[in-house]
Order: sequence, then C-alpha cells, then structure tokens
Amino acid sequence: MDMLLQALSSLLTIESILTVLVGVSLGLFIGSLPGLTATMALAVLLPFTFSMEALQGLIALGAVYMGSIYGGAFTAILINTPGTPSSIATTFDGYPMARQGRAYEALAGATMASVAGGVVGVIFLLILAPPLARLAVAFGPAEMFWVAMLGLTLVASLSSGSLLKGLLAGCIGMMLSTIGVSPIGGETRFTFGFPPLQGGVELIVALIGLFVIPELLTMAAEGRGALPSGGEMRKRELSIGRIARQIFGKPVNLIRSCLIGQLVAIIPGAGGNVTSLVAYNEARRFSKDPSSFGKGNLEGVVASESSNNVMVAGSMVPLLTLGIPGAPPDAIILGVLLMHGLRPGIDLFTETGVLTNGFILSMGLAALMLLPVGLIGGRLIHRVVIRTPYYFLVPSIAMVTILGTFALRNSFLDVGIMLALGTAGYFLRLIGIHAAPIVLGLILGGIAEQGYVQTMLAAVADPVPWLRLVENPLSKVLAGLVLVGAASALIPIWLERSGRLAKVTDTTEANRNREGEV
Amino acid sequence: MIVRLNTDIVAGLVGLAFAAALWLPRADMGRLSIIFPRAVLVILVLLSLILVLKGFIRPGERRIEITGSPRRLLVVIIGFFAWWMAIDAIGFLVSTVIAFYALTWYLARVEGVVRWQRLARWTPAILLLIGTFYLTFKEVLNVRLPTGLLM
Repeated sequence: MDMLLQALSSLLTIESILTVLVGVSLGLFIGSLPGLTATMALAVLLPFTFSMEALQGLIALGAVYMGSIYGGAFTAILINTPGTPSSIATTFDGYPMARQGRAYEALAGATMASVAGGVVGVIFLLILAPPLARLAVAFGPAEMFWVAMLGLTLVASLSSGSLLKGLLAGCIGMMLSTIGVSPIGGETRFTFGFPPLQGGVELIVALIGLFVIPELLTMAAEGRGALPSGGEMRKRELSIGRIARQIFGKPVNLIRSCLIGQLVAIIPGAGGNVTSLVAYNEARRFSKDPSSFGKGNLEGVVASESSNNVMVAGSMVPLLTLGIPGAPPDAIILGVLLMHGLRPGIDLFTETGVLTNGFILSMGLAALMLLPVGLIGGRLIHRVVIRTPYYFLVPSIAMVTILGTFALRNSFLDVGIMLALGTAGYFLRLIGIHAAPIVLGLILGGIAEQGYVQTMLAAVADPVPWLRLVENPLSKVLAGLVLVGAASALIPIWLERSGRLAKVTDTTEANRNREGEV
Repeated sequence: MIVRLNTDIVAGLVGLAFAAALWLPRADMGRLSIIFPRAVLVILVLLSLILVLKGFIRPGERRIEITGSPRRLLVVIIGFFAWWMAIDAIGFLVSTVIAFYALTWYLARVEGVVRWQRLARWTPAILLLIGTFYLTFKEVLNVRLPTGLLM
C-alpha cells in the first residue's frame, strides 16, 4: 500500500500530468488515422523517450498506447474504417449510428466506454495480476489452438446471413496467414517464386485493404459522402448525461465486456482485435434485441470499446509478470523496460514496485484523460470529416491509407496487396463473403497453426496424434466451448426454419411497439 | 445495377479457385510447413463444395446489386492502381498531386461541370493537405517515401 501511495505521489506532478496529456493526444491523433496502429504509434514515439527518466518514458508510452487504441474508434465510427485493428467491432454499430446522424452519440459512448474500460483494466492489473498470470501459463499449444478455434467460431455469427460463407471467409483468411515463412518449419510458402511475398500478408495491410478500399469504392460509385451532410449534431444528442445514463444505467453489458476484455487480454497473442470481437459477439448474444446489432446499437460500440481499452492494461499482466507481451504494442513497452534495466518478474513488484505501480496508475490517469481529450477531439474530427465533400474525402483517405500502408514496412508491394485485397473485398462482399471473417482468419491463423503444429509434433509417437489436442482438461473445456459456440450460431437458423424464430420476433416487435406507444 | 447471380454457387467457385491456386504449390513443402495449410485447404474445399451443392438445392440470394455507377467504380479502381504504379515511376509527391487532382475533378463531376476556376479554388487546400502529410511522414516519422525519376 505504501508503494502504491508513493507511486501515486510521483505521478501527481505537473510534469507527469503533462506527459500523459501529450501522450494521449498524440496517441489519439495517430490512432485515428487508418493504417497507423498503436504499435506503430509506440514505435515512432519510442525514440523521444530515450532521454526521459524510466517512469516518465513508461508514462508517455502508456498514454500513447491508451490514446491510440481509443483513437481507432473515431474513424471506425465516422468512415467505417478501423483506425486500429482493435476497433473492427466498433464499425459494426458505430458506422450505422453515424449514418443515422448519431455520430456524436456513438463517439461519446465510445469515449465513456473507453474510459471505463481503461480504468477497469488498470484495477484488474493492480489487483489480479499474479493469479491471472498463473492461469495464463497453463495455456500450452493445444489450448492456444482451441483459443484460436473459439475465436473462429465467431465467424459464424460475424458473417451476416450465411454460416457457410462466414466459415469460407475464415478459411480464406487463415490461408492468407500462411503466405510467407512458415513459423515452425521455416520454409517459404505460397510465394509463387516472388521473393517479396516471403514477408507474408501483413495484418494491417489486409485490414486497411479489406475495410477501407471497399468503402471508398462504394462512396465513389454512389457519388456520395460517407456520412449525411448535416443535421446529425442535434441538440438532444449533445447531452452527455443522457448518453452516460444509457451506458451506466444498465451496466451489465459494460461489466461483461470488461470481464471478457480482461480474460482474453491475458492470453498472449490475443490482442485487442480478438478482445473486441468476442465482447461484441457476446453483447449481441445476450441482448434482448440481437437483431438491432449491426444497425446502430450503442451497446455494440460500448462492448467493443470498453473491452479493447481493458486490454491495454490487461495485456500487461503476462508482460510484467512473465515478460510475454500480451499484444504487439506490449513488445515495445518490454523493450523500454529492458532498456532501463528492469526485468519482468516479481522484482518489478517488489524492488522497483514504486516505478511499476506508477506506470500502472499512469495508465489509469491516461484513461481518465481520454474523457476531456476525446470529447473535444471527437467534435473536431467529426466536424472535419462531415464538412469535407466526398470528392475530397475519397482521395484524402486513399492518400492516408497508401501512406500508412507503405510506412508499415517501407514496402511498395504492400500498397499493391492492400489495393488488390480491397478491390477483391468489394466484389466478395457483393456475393456475401464479408471482410470481418477474412480478417479474423488472418489474425487467428498464425496462433492456430503454432498450436496445431506444436501439438502434432509432441504427439508424433501417439497412435492417434489428433487426440493430443483434447488431452488436457483445459483443452477439453475449450473444445467444448468451440462446439457450444458453433451450435449457438446454428440454433437461430434452425429456429427460423422451424418457424419458431418468427414467433419470437413477432412478440419482440409487438412489445417494442407497445413501449413506443407509452 | 442489378446482376442475376446465384451467390452460393459463385461463392463456392471462388473458394474452389482460391484453394486450387494454393493447392498446386504445396507439393514442394516439408511436412511441418504444410500440415496446417493442408488441413485448412481440405476444409476450404469441403465448404466450397457444400456451397455449390446448396446453390443448386436451396439457393440463397440470386442477385447482386452494384449501387451507383459501375463506370465510376471501374474508373476509380483503375485510378487507384494507376496511382500506385505512378508512385514507383514518378515518386510519391508528384503522383499524389496528379492523382488527387484527377480523382477530385472526376468525382466532383457528379454535381455538374467542374470549371477550372473551381479547381483553382481547391488548389491551396489540396496542396496543404498533401504537403502536411508528406512532410509529417518524411520529416517527423522518417518514412523514406519513393522519389521516382523526377526528384
């Protein structure tokens, strides 16, 4: 407790508060630009911390991390383009809300959810780090494989309409993840004799291409802007109190999303993108009105944004205790820790406890700082985006995406891959193969492959090697969850075919109409 | 524009084509490298075949709709790829200024004829936008942008 108080006092200085403010603002700006991820924001700003004290450097990077993860929500809501991969699920309801003229409501909701998520993540990190880290250690290759499979069962519900097409898209994504050097065998695969492909398809490149380019093409073809040209900032929507009551008045969704965010965050490799997709899926599954999701339901935005901001601090659990980055940006934080002679482990919580606790608390301060910075920044970004005519918006977004894609690896080929995937994504969408399951397959493909191949290697002498995948109790539980997840996605289809879903829908509609009359 | 198309069959064929493209080069790979892709490819082929069958037995959507102007869609797709190739040839800055002007002019024509005076009025905003991003990436973020033959 003394350590915590000392850490708090070291944090409450003008210098530290200014560092957090600048860090959050820079993170917000970089995160809101499509293609510029939290990892890139941290990598770019890392050299500026070399001259700082260890605590100040960590505070700055923690604030940038928090700001950039939240910043991804801006473009996700305003132009259907996740600024960071963590905001994929925010587009599902945020963008429809923006198109209905409720952009500010979505942005304010995302801000409050991010603040709540960020603070909850810090509390989790402070209190539950050791026991949660012990649980994460129990995840071996087979368990990681099932975690990836569990994520992929989301495909069924993410793909609108057809389970088969969703699974097909997930497989396409997983195959895209196998292009390049094999993580186990070390051979190059599916490069077709073209050496630049050895680096594989970068996730961000695919993400930008599949999410941004189809939207730009639609805007261009339709000859319209992404958002209605005016009237969306109606006075009643400016009431922060009303939006806050909507979110905190029924906190079940928020609490569930934060818990999911924390649970997924401690699993190394499963970053904010998986976190927000799982939380979104569960919010929809538990909702009384799941059909409203994807059409502009604030709960969807809250689920996604709260869970991905929980992940910022939550993914530090394995990092600070085991030295395993929970998410890619954590690797940069690890680098800073090592640079200052701080080794992850129990020493961080004893010998250098003041510094570690100061860093953790600074993330809480950064989360709180999102509220003023985000709400003011949100208005500015919203104004800029809606007042820009579509014929400026299309080339502007195209330019930023080209720049962002190129800057990732200084690769000219990446820009071409981004454009090719985006163009393919536009036409695939027409036949019912959507971008989200492809991207999810791409993310989880690597995790699934490592888990699968390592398990098969360990079971090479077994008569039935595949049985090793369900040998441990934890694997069995996870495999069971996969089956339950897949079955629950099929149940609505079965209900609909048997005619029972129509009755349920009718009853819900009738209730809603009655409430409307009152 | 509405096109009559059995989307299940087309999606299945797309899956089969994708699987075929990746099935052929798999023979040269070692066991450790192919074990996972092979499993996914098998599932991909099965799903594609089921979709094709479903398309015949119980088809889903039988038409697709390209909203807006297909011609504008095609021109912008070509424009994006031309922009990409021009970056390599004449550098990022020059190609972006040309592509930005061309796209803005072409897309603004939806609202009517774009006179040169209107284009000239946009010049400061376009140049400021491109210049800001160019300098930010080049000078602040130290990204080495392609300069091409002209610079």
